[in-house]
Amino acid sequence: MFDSFFFSYQSLIFAVGINGLLALSMYTVLAVGQLSLGQAAFMGIGAYVSTLLTLDAHWPFAAVLLAAMVVPALAALLIGGPTLKLTGVYLALATIALGEILRIFCNASDLTGGALGLSGIPNKTSFGLIFAVLALALAGFVMVARSRLGRAMEAMREDEVAAGVMGVNLPVMKLGALVVSAMLAGLAGALNAHANSFIGPNDYGFDQAVTILSFALLGGIGSPFGPVLGAVILTVLPELLTALHDFKLVVNGFIIVIAVLFMPRGLLIWRIGRVG
Amino acid sequence: MNKRTLATLALLPIATAAAIWTAPAKAEDVTIGAIEILTGPNSRYGVAIKNGFDLALDEVNKTGVLGGKKLVIQYEDTAGNKDQAVNAARKLIGIGKVPLLLGPTLSNEMFAAGPVANEQKIPIVGTSTTAAGITAIGPYVFRTSLPEGDVIPVTLKAAQTKFGIKKVAVMYANDDAFSKSGYDVFKASLEKLGIQTLTTETFGSKDSDFSAQLTKIKSLNPDAIVVSALVEPASGILLDARSIGLDEKIRFIGGNGFNSPKLGDIAGEAADGTLVGSPWFIAKADAMNTKFVADYRAKYKDDPDQFSAQAYDTLHIVALAIDKAGAAEPEKIKAALQTTKYTGVMGPFSFTDNRDPADSSGVVVLEMKGGKFQILK
Amino acid sequence: MFAQILQQLPQQLLNGLVLGSTYALFALGFTLMFGVLGVINLTYGFYFTTGAFLALYGTKLLALPIWLALPGAAIVTGLIAVLFDAALLTPLRRKKAPELASLMVTLGATLLLYSLMTATFGTEIRRLPPAVISHAAIIVGGIRMNWSQILIMGTTVAIVAALLALIRGTRFGLSMRALAENGEAAQLMGVDTDAVVRLVSLVSGALGATAGVLIGLNFNAIQPYMGESMMLKGFAVIIIGGLGDIKGALIAGLVIGVLEVLTAGFISSSYKDAVGFILLVTTLWFRPVGLFGRAPVKRA
Repeated sequence: MFDSFFFSYQSLIFAVGINGLLALSMYTVLAVGQLSLGQAAFMGIGAYVSTLLTLDAHWPFAAVLLAAMVVPALAALLIGGPTLKLTGVYLALATIALGEILRIFCNASDLTGGALGLSGIPNKTSFGLIFAVLALALAGFVMVARSRLGRAMEAMREDEVAAGVMGVNLPVMKLGALVVSAMLAGLAGALNAHANSFIGPNDYGFDQAVTILSFALLGGIGSPFGPVLGAVILTVLPELLTALHDFKLVVNGFIIVIAVLFMPRGLLIWRIGRVG
Repeated sequence: MNKRTLATLALLPIATAAAIWTAPAKAEDVTIGAIEILTGPNSRYGVAIKNGFDLALDEVNKTGVLGGKKLVIQYEDTAGNKDQAVNAARKLIGIGKVPLLLGPTLSNEMFAAGPVANEQKIPIVGTSTTAAGITAIGPYVFRTSLPEGDVIPVTLKAAQTKFGIKKVAVMYANDDAFSKSGYDVFKASLEKLGIQTLTTETFGSKDSDFSAQLTKIKSLNPDAIVVSALVEPASGILLDARSIGLDEKIRFIGGNGFNSPKLGDIAGEAADGTLVGSPWFIAKADAMNTKFVADYRAKYKDDPDQFSAQAYDTLHIVALAIDKAGAAEPEKIKAALQTTKYTGVMGPFSFTDNRDPADSSGVVVLEMKGGKFQILK
Repeated sequence: MFAQILQQLPQQLLNGLVLGSTYALFALGFTLMFGVLGVINLTYGFYFTTGAFLALYGTKLLALPIWLALPGAAIVTGLIAVLFDAALLTPLRRKKAPELASLMVTLGATLLLYSLMTATFGTEIRRLPPAVISHAAIIVGGIRMNWSQILIMGTTVAIVAALLALIRGTRFGLSMRALAENGEAAQLMGVDTDAVVRLVSLVSGALGATAGVLIGLNFNAIQPYMGESMMLKGFAVIIIGGLGDIKGALIAGLVIGVLEVLTAGFISSSYKDAVGFILLVTTLWFRPVGLFGRAPVKRA
């Protein structure tokens, strides 16, 4: 019974963990008061880099995962660097551009298999690995949230100008958050690619970027657990209510509107600093 | 707020359990699974396939399989999403315990769901997956749809011998897997036939402006333009070609995406002269096909298309194989499929050793005239 | 071979100017909203689609001529824009929420609206009745064009001129500039800021709809997601032109259009769509304020 349950819902269970990681990567940026719409692109870069290294270069899986974190981080530097001194709108739009450039490149290049994508990826991701990474990331964020760094992030989110006056190094914090978030998204992309046997360039588009945002906004960014909860709900719910399949994007859009207008703190309203 | 959170959390496991217990079918029936796009923007393909299956199922169940048992199809919807296709395959295999899967609709979905079935040693039969490499996924992956590699060379050969086409320009939608795999076949066939390719231009499948590409092609004076695209952008290209003043004698040669009555509906007279190859044609005059078309129209008040025809034949092939296997067991069905022979509305059918269709003699080349396809004479 | 390819240059330049005009035409209302209201309003792409659909049904079901259907669609869409602004953005303005909140709320709303439209209308391309505008070719010095292309280019230039006159030469323009500069100060000086916000939404929504109708007419293709792909190009246009800069949007639109077509004609059509986004990233690195520096809406 349990075996057949696990087999039947394996990809759903994996998706819960991977979407949890993606939600955390979104949280990292939102936590310093910025908005990135490039999380799907970072995920895609991680997925493609890891797949090519596995299929063509036969690197060991640990090294593949490392590379899947480093390359998106470089992309984050390239995209995030010039927008640091500008308002948050510029980062949001620049990350959208990154997603489009990635999609166009992957469709045009033979290396990435064009629109056919890459298939025959060996399954190297396990249940344990995904959830160990997720637990580790959560633990890391909880520790950060309770430290000086966490308080600086909270200050930035509440009032960026005041935080700057009080000595928070705004450019370093913003860029750092973006780089960390790109690494997490890249890792999630690599784990996902090695859990499915096939990736394609249209998996990492604008819709996916917005879906990741809706995870974080539903759960709320008061604590790192919020986005993960949001990811769990939005991954499992459409599976249960099949009627929701068709209206998945409608629901995601609706959640974003409601979250911003009426529940800016999301579902989980308590904060790490105040617990224990 | 906290209460609501808790309530949501509490609901999740209950609903999950409920989903597991919705297991199907009586023990004496033979239940097979089908994974198709039944909702969403691409549902017209999946619905046409389901109609074809259901029509054939009525016929099969007049006598039943395995000595009178009822054949039942359990459908799972993918909405065109490959992750849903994987979920569907896992659900049908893990909970439904089906001995055979039909579908999925798109090649992309097969590349994702095929490996799951193959790993579990459950035969999976694609009826509409035409991309290269489908059956290379593994020994349990079959398809009954002629791969484009069998259809496109016939079309190009006809264009070469009938119209003396020597140099062409090639266009394809590079952001769409179906169009890209059609392009790969075009490229190989053009080389093989010794037809010169002057230029290769790409576009996006949602584009509506093709003037830059067509202006360039116009300056190169090709004999024909070869296009691999779905029907919407294909029609847009035909219309744009007229408005940039491309010589009307330059023929368009299309891949399977052109093989739709919508091409004539949208592009009107701009589509005249367009050539396309098809594994099936509604006006094929043999008795089996005319009966199929009449029955289909009677049951669904609509015309069948190639997807319903392929599905209709496939279900008959599968039912034959189950009978031949003598039991609803995956291994036995797999072995039986390999040796099943059947003549249906698409023409004579059997599988090659690589589980592709062995016979492409049913392919017809069609020409657009006055907004309607007819067989090229 | 090279001479053959070169001979297409004049025609390609025209193709580029037409394509660039569509980008500029789309971006005008979008950049105006940002210039005055200070938000990236992503529902703008929805106004673009709505305008096209209204004109489609106006000409098809009510058999309106296009010169009636176009302004009708523009006014109705403008009113929808005022409503959306009141429902989504005014509450955030009242709360003085961070600027990204307004970007996110319009993002969610757009996703919801597009998906609902797709569910209602399907993704099939719809076409205006052929009698609406002639696509017959006019050949001037070996270059082919048609009336809808001339209409697009003419309208774009005319709207730019009208907007600049409005902003620089009228009382309403003065209040717009005051609001753009500093909302609270404008209010203290006696500007009815709520009224200005409504008027700017109305004008932008109507501009978006006009763009949708004309572009739908030119390419003869109307579908729910037409606003989404245009929106992505729109981002590039307004950043390269400078956020809020009307003249900048015109020039940036034309530059992107011409470069895209030249890329397709002379380099590779695979990278045609990348041009705008690569220019966007380059602009951010080297000239983040856009081509002309500070936006004229903000320059008093």
